[in-house]
Amino acid sequence: MKTFELARPSTLAQAFGELELDAAKRDRVKLIAGGQDLVTEMKEHLVEPSKLVDLKRLPGLDRIEVLPDGSLTIGCLVTVAALAEHAEVQHFFTALAEAARSVGSAQIRSQGTVGGNLNQRPRCWYYRNEHAPCLKKGGTECYSYAGLNKYNAILGGGPSYIVHPSDLATALVAFDAEVTLASAKGERKMALDKFFTLPSEGDVTRETVLAPGEILTHVRVPAKRGWTSTYLKFKERGSYDFALAAVAVAVRFEGAGSQTVKEARLVLGGVAPKPWNVPKAAEALVGRNGLETWTAAGNRAVAGAELLAHNAYKVPLVKGLVVKALESISKA
Amino acid sequence: MSALDPRREDESPKWGPRESMRLLNHEFVRVDAVDKVTGRARYTHDVRLPGMLFAKFLGCPIAHAEVKVDVTAAKALPGVVEVRVVREGEIRFLGQPVAVVAAKTREAADDALRAIKLEITPLPFAVTHAQSLAANAPKVGRNGNTSKVNEDGDGAQVAEAFKRCERVVEATYEVPIQHHACLETHGVVVDVPTADSGTVFHSTQATYGSANEFKGPLKVKQVEVVNEYMGGGFGAKFEAGVEGRVACELARELQAPIHLMLSRRDEFLIAGNRSGCVQTLKLGGSKDGKLLALEASVDKLGGLGGGSHGGFPFHYEVETSHSSTRSVYTNLDSNRAMRAPGHPQAAFGMESIVDELAYALGIDLLEIRKRNAESDVHRRQLDRVAREIGWFEHAHKNAPDLSDATRKVGIGFGLSDWGAGGGPACKVTVEISSDGSVRASVGSQDLGTGVRTYVAAIVAEELGLPLAGVTARVGRTSYGAANASGGSTTTGSLAPAVKDAAFNARRAFAAALAKTLKSDANDLSFDTEGVLDAKSKRRLSWRDACATLGPTGVSATGEWKEGLSSNVIHGAQAARVEVDTRTGEIKVLKMVCMQDCGLPLNRTAVRSQINGGMVQALSYALFEERVIEPDLGIAMNANFEDYKLAASKEMPEMVAIIDDEDTRGVIGIAEATIVPGHAAIANAIHNACGVRLRTMPLTPDKLLMGLAALKPLKPLKKD
Repeated sequence: MKTFELARPSTLAQAFGELELDAAKRDRVKLIAGGQDLVTEMKEHLVEPSKLVDLKRLPGLDRIEVLPDGSLTIGCLVTVAALAEHAEVQHFFTALAEAARSVGSAQIRSQGTVGGNLNQRPRCWYYRNEHAPCLKKGGTECYSYAGLNKYNAILGGGPSYIVHPSDLATALVAFDAEVTLASAKGERKMALDKFFTLPSEGDVTRETVLAPGEILTHVRVPAKRGWTSTYLKFKERGSYDFALAAVAVAVRFEGAGSQTVKEARLVLGGVAPKPWNVPKAAEALVGRNGLETWTAAGNRAVAGAELLAHNAYKVPLVKGLVVKALESISKA
Repeated sequence: MSALDPRREDESPKWGPRESMRLLNHEFVRVDAVDKVTGRARYTHDVRLPGMLFAKFLGCPIAHAEVKVDVTAAKALPGVVEVRVVREGEIRFLGQPVAVVAAKTREAADDALRAIKLEITPLPFAVTHAQSLAANAPKVGRNGNTSKVNEDGDGAQVAEAFKRCERVVEATYEVPIQHHACLETHGVVVDVPTADSGTVFHSTQATYGSANEFKGPLKVKQVEVVNEYMGGGFGAKFEAGVEGRVACELARELQAPIHLMLSRRDEFLIAGNRSGCVQTLKLGGSKDGKLLALEASVDKLGGLGGGSHGGFPFHYEVETSHSSTRSVYTNLDSNRAMRAPGHPQAAFGMESIVDELAYALGIDLLEIRKRNAESDVHRRQLDRVAREIGWFEHAHKNAPDLSDATRKVGIGFGLSDWGAGGGPACKVTVEISSDGSVRASVGSQDLGTGVRTYVAAIVAEELGLPLAGVTARVGRTSYGAANASGGSTTTGSLAPAVKDAAFNARRAFAAALAKTLKSDANDLSFDTEGVLDAKSKRRLSWRDACATLGPTGVSATGEWKEGLSSNVIHGAQAARVEVDTRTGEIKVLKMVCMQDCGLPLNRTAVRSQINGGMVQALSYALFEERVIEPDLGIAMNANFEDYKLAASKEMPEMVAIIDDEDTRGVIGIAEATIVPGHAAIANAIHNACGVRLRTMPLTPDKLLMGLAALKPLKPLKKD
């Protein structure tokens, strides 16, 4: 592994001072927290930074705060395990706790952080293979398009067909989460939905709009009192795997005891280069409930799917997951 | 053998009645379990010698190339002692080592690998069946891309027999290349040789055989191979390999001990594989379910190797059959033996087509097997596993569940058999010391089957001692001659020799004791209370009896004796599977295996073998597949993230039944248990929902597409 300098700032200001602002050189300096994604990238020589900036000593970023209005502020250093185990998250943001619990293994959840999870790189096996100089790594071709694309995108793909691997992102988008991106110049806040980009929208070698010099410090989740939610992740192997497809659904019923949906969110994971927010599918749920409605929502969720040679199964899979997820929260 | 051995001509070791055994045929924990769990057990990977260097290979990243190696920059790095070419010029398979480095630390070795400059000229390659057989395929094998076709049976007779069949089914089944996935990768730690002898720590299933292979590269007359604990072999660890040869050369030339264990990637690419296959089968039967005709055409896919495949008809009697089998070569490493070589592949095709015919004839899936199984042992085992799996209460015995239910349960069956057996190969020593300690030494390695434990148990049983009263030493050539652990022959070869040595040691002890006690050796018996003289009724504790021995104690050796082991075993398995038609999830709920094995030395270890066979078959069924990019010729899943193995959440309820109607001597069991489990799972999937998955692994994407084909959706195709 290439030798690197390890910076261990104890304030955000010090951390900003360590970062590389020149966009062309930004990957020479990498942020590290739990290291669950970055270290594997370094071991595979996908990135070879000359400096790591360890965020773990920054104060106050490892807390989950529940504000009086019921909204959440999650620091970027909160571990995935802490999120999964948090009582209020489990109760009011069930889909988020379930998404956290579905991540990797117990060891990865204990070490990995929310910030790292949202900023993790794709799992596409072409991207992860240093012998495939693909588009994501600055090459000229997305090999998955005509290659072994069983795990790749059916929605929002092109020119790259990766799927975003984050479970937390899918659930957080369903809760209208917002992120704070801090830099020496100040802070900017944006919907998490807008934090992620499609390959066709911007720099194909990145999955987010995080600019050089910026650190994702907080995730804010507005209150969702009265909502019911679930995150349903389908893995090829139950033990320790990424999603073949996942769905986060959150609904607010018209009143206590009512099974009629007043408001809904529906976001897909594992099928697109970013969390695939499908408001049209969510709208299909409003004002009704039941198998027919769920099926309609599932159909709308995959509208516009572009199928590659080996991933057509994701269409029935997503439809099935949408129905199962809605069935489970409607019975609850 | 002790000079005092009083053995009479008419007496020889016998296992004796099972009901009088204290240890054998009982359940007991492995004697080395705590050492293994706590990390005290030293595996080859763990060996550290003074001044040792870490060596690592650099492999060719593509399947076929002309390679030139420049080691200059790598050699100049700090901590790097040596960098040398292993092979230049034409590289014929993916991952073939082209260079090796030796460095003071593993990190320095890794850096040196990165600093080696390869000049690679890609050559056309074939890494799939289709690529190898394409009209414009590059030449892969030395004599073309296929071997000559091996014919068995009379094709014309079979063609004639099909005419008499009530129903005929035909289908093509595909099995991918599987990996052994040993937790401990292949490799050696080689000490610096002296003028005439050397020591090699080797993760091997052939301690005795590999010693000879090391003599040449070490340039010595005598080699001690040490392998006291090993992390799996499954058939891939018979040879010294390129890693053994290169490490010996480095140790000799650099005059430093060399640690050369393959990286996980190398383990996937150059350490062997279970060959894949494409098999087209045509099976016909009579109205009442008698199998009349089988035509089989098999292409074996073992990389540059020939591949292996069990002979057809496989475990079933078919009136007339014909098969043609050939090897199709690809630019991948050669297959090696893997737990019942060729049998799981053949089982997948045969058990599937038998099922397909049963449905076509409308015959009960259990009945068609019982009607055609080649052995009565199979018939009784089928009945038992059917009962355990819930077959007799199952609703869909001759048709799949085609209802609109979203969760469906199915049952499938499969059969196995294996030759196993054993013969003269091992020389075992048992020593009894005057302090009461007993030591048994065998050269055989413990491949993971529990050799160390049953060696101690056999001796303890013979001498009337508790299991802890005997120390078993295994896995060193100097402990005595031993056979390679192949073909499930270790137990059949070793256990009789251990029994013989223990028997001889007891007799030698009795003779020595008789002299001291002035009694007749034939009147002395050994039990848990110590030694009893039948004539004088005098009793001595074990310790007191041993104290009468001189400083050298007594020792005896033993060899394989006729009558203590047997061969040819049978098994039947059943799987109960639930499928979720909305997600394609395949959940194996329960597996049952019944297996005969002669005398079970340790019932816990036998059950572990059976469970292990079922687990490995389940993993093969649902996940395992070597994936090579067909256009780039690179490895896509040479790691444990992308090469998926079943883990804790995939484990079903497992029922391992030892067939106690088998009263023969000991027989090895390891291989038979893996043969049919995946086929039973495939059959259960079809029984559950009507989708016949003919290409392994049996994954949700295939099931979903299969379900969609049953109930056609709108066409979903790109281009």
